[in-house]
Amino acid sequence: MTIAIAAISCALAGITIGLIIARRLGDTTRATPATQAALQPERPAPPWPDYVQVLDQLPIGIVIVAPDRATVYRNPWATTFGGTHAGVLLDAMMEPLLEQALVGEHARQVLELYGPPRRSIAVASSPLPGGGALASIQDESERRRIDAVRTDFVANISHELKTPVGALAVLAETLVGETDPEVIDRVAERMVEDAHRAARTIDDLLELAGIEMGEALVRERVDVADVIAESISRARQIGEQRNIHVEVLDIPKGAAVVGDRRQLVSALGNLVENAVKYSEPGGEVQVRVRADDGFMEMMVADRGIGIPARDHDRIFERFYRVDRARSRDTGGTGLGLSIVRHVADNHGGEVLVSSREGEGSTFVLRIPTSSRVEALRQQGVRQ
Amino acid sequence: MSNDAGISVQEEAAESDLRPSFHHALDQVRAEIAKLGATVTENIPRATEILLSQDLEGAEYMILADDAIDAASIDLEDRCYSLLALQAPVASDLRQVVAALRIIAEVERSADLTTNLCKAARRIYGHDLDPKLRGIIQKMGDQATQLFKEATESYLSSDAARAAAIDDMDGYLDGLQREFVQAIFESHQMTKIDLQVAVQLAIVARFYERIGDHAVNIGERTQFVVTGWVREQMGAVRHATRQAASDID
Repeated sequence: MTIAIAAISCALAGITIGLIIARRLGDTTRATPATQAALQPERPAPPWPDYVQVLDQLPIGIVIVAPDRATVYRNPWATTFGGTHAGVLLDAMMEPLLEQALVGEHARQVLELYGPPRRSIAVASSPLPGGGALASIQDESERRRIDAVRTDFVANISHELKTPVGALAVLAETLVGETDPEVIDRVAERMVEDAHRAARTIDDLLELAGIEMGEALVRERVDVADVIAESISRARQIGEQRNIHVEVLDIPKGAAVVGDRRQLVSALGNLVENAVKYSEPGGEVQVRVRADDGFMEMMVADRGIGIPARDHDRIFERFYRVDRARSRDTGGTGLGLSIVRHVADNHGGEVLVSSREGEGSTFVLRIPTSSRVEALRQQGVRQ
Repeated sequence: MSNDAGISVQEEAAESDLRPSFHHALDQVRAEIAKLGATVTENIPRATEILLSQDLEGAEYMILADDAIDAASIDLEDRCYSLLALQAPVASDLRQVVAALRIIAEVERSADLTTNLCKAARRIYGHDLDPKLRGIIQKMGDQATQLFKEATESYLSSDAARAAAIDDMDGYLDGLQREFVQAIFESHQMTKIDLQVAVQLAIVARFYERIGDHAVNIGERTQFVVTGWVREQMGAVRHATRQAASDID
């Protein structure tokens, strides 16, 4: 998609630039073939758009300089950083790239901004036929993030599945020929534990696969109070072990959403379970519900260890771990938040997080209310 | 390739400019200072991440890269001296050059502080910090970044009002530093960190606090460029009052 845009923009730019530069220098004698083509009288005038206006609309940055290094054109996207420190850095990086392009070389460089949020801005420069140079600026942050998700997923899934299976193999080998009943007991116990672990991961993966495919989403009226009660009971056992009190605050009377009850319980249950797991022993977890403009917001807040800022946009990925060493003790599969996000998506809602390390985390699951869904249906909008 | 602010300054100057080469040189110096400031603005979150993720390679890279900033600031300082000596500017032109000299020093020192953060990252390598400490480090980093971003951008756009607000923002960073020192004591008491790490962390807090102070100074110099007015130094005021009182005696 972006490649296509880049290709189109380059083609367009080629034509436009010729025009702009020729106009600016008042030099029609050296007009390039592209310019001549654009000036051909038989080319239909309207409805063909003015190419400069087309460049103005592009979702990438375009900067054009004349052979004397003066900037002749800069589209709106390329000026969005103007006056900010990022703009200063971008200009500083672009200058040598354009210099290179002016002597006929193609050049490309990526500016890494540490944010927050983190961004990667790529600048590519190329010489233009008939003199001058073009720089195109593209925000590559999203593409890079997706690349990272893809590579990490493969590494993580093999880790999550191989570790318990590998452990099982080693433990089974230990059992072969072992006669001491005490050792057999201990090893067998570990085997049971690891087998459960692998089974949990596979269960969650299957559940996630089902939810991801939007598998037969049941649409019924679901009472929010019921969903919360059921979610909390899921986390009761761990809560009691760690002496954590889960408090439910003000649920609006008759609060209801339209959706798949099982999925909603699974999503909210995951959030409550996480809150309990990552709280200090003896701590408190709060569950709160708030109606907000057609959405029902279910909030789960803890005062636990919190999530580092740089991980906020990655925790919803499958198998993403903030701290691998710690996640072993909590016994999670690394799929919980991924399930939450997909359930939210399936219901036309979203899940939000705000968190500080050492202060705790708050997750908000926003699901459209029954009245909103009804209103949308009446408007003929398909959810 | 100049930014919006640069263009407007140039256009303004062009109308009644008797010394085009001087103003061109001055604009260049300003642009270079803004570039240096922007680099430091990026270096603060980068150093914070290096510190929190114990990224030794990143630390090494940043420490080496500081030499380029030092070289650039020496070059800029030289250019300011030449402007003073050869052009003998007056009024607002003189303020521009004098303020530039001060700001270069502030930016250069702040860049050093970010490399100090990287050196601290090397010293606390291998020690786990509890979430509360990490959380406050992140906050101090965010706040220091914000302060320096404001300082750089208000200088870039000669915005005195924006520059004046930096001082108030710095109060929050100072508060964070105190909170952090308290958290270090608690963490040390619960024997989560040893004395060596505790001392290193206290120094880290000091680095952030100093970066904030440099940003405030840049803000003051920016106000001086625009309004010709320097905020009264509290110490100087006290000194003057005492002086006046002793004269009466």
